[in-house]
Amino acid sequence: MSPRRRISRARRGGFDVRLPPEERDLLASLPGQLEGLLDGIGDGLSAPPPALRRLFPVAYARDEVAEAAYAALVRQELLEHRREALAVLAQTASASHLDDEEAAAWLGALNDLRLVLGTTLEVSEEPVEIQPEDARYADWVCYSYLSFIQGELVEALEGTLAPPIPGADDDVPDDPWGELPGGLRWDGTMRPEQPGPDPS
Amino acid sequence: MNSSGGAGTTIERESSTDTLLVTERPWLVVVWNDPINLMTYVTYVLQKLFGYSREKATKLMLDVHHKGRAVVASGPRERAENDVSRLHRCGLWATLEQPE
Repeated sequence: MSPRRRISRARRGGFDVRLPPEERDLLASLPGQLEGLLDGIGDGLSAPPPALRRLFPVAYARDEVAEAAYAALVRQELLEHRREALAVLAQTASASHLDDEEAAAWLGALNDLRLVLGTTLEVSEEPVEIQPEDARYADWVCYSYLSFIQGELVEALEGTLAPPIPGADDDVPDDPWGELPGGLRWDGTMRPEQPGPDPS
Repeated sequence: MNSSGGAGTTIERESSTDTLLVTERPWLVVVWNDPINLMTYVTYVLQKLFGYSREKATKLMLDVHHKGRAVVASGPRERAENDVSRLHRCGLWATLEQPE
């Protein structure tokens, strides 16, 4: 294990965290900002604002009634789950050691922060070149940092996974669709109609 | 829609015992590509939630990345919906689909 890694498995169990103070300050302050946004959505049953959309994904993309029932069932619990993870990250941002539960909370909170920041930055598959004079330069740096630290945490957590469940791999059915079902896109919205052939 | 038994339901008469069997076509749990979730994170989540091998989880992740989606599990509606909600907790874009 390279000594330069910021997060690694600890011999005594859990995870060792070696972060410079400025990174700890950032990790301590970001959760509160997202919690502030989450405060604004009330009971979580109405449609979340665009920036938070990724935290409350749609389960039934083509069935409004089923989706409303699903949202009523899971939204509140999802909201609480996200709040708890953010609180753990804020509280343990200065810790030099995390237990398994805290590390799982870090993983969730880091991912939630990236989902929200990535949404507002309109991150796409295309690489972008950001210049220091760009208005959102600081946000891009923050996003890149969160990606980096989450990547290290994922690598450390991979070593703690339970062995695969025998036979589980064989239970995954083949994809039955040649085309995307119902013209859906990755975000659950409908794909726009292709323009017809030019009449001229 | 199936007019005889509601959406996705077929009713078969089993000749030997003359009892009605209600079978529901399985629901599929689909994970969609998105530009934010890390590839290593998606692979980790699929192993953690479903007990897949690293190889299988990696293949599914690459399907998501290259084809735009992957079927990662299937089952009765209740179980599939629970799988979707577990994926949603992890921030993955998952939906339930029942092929026509």
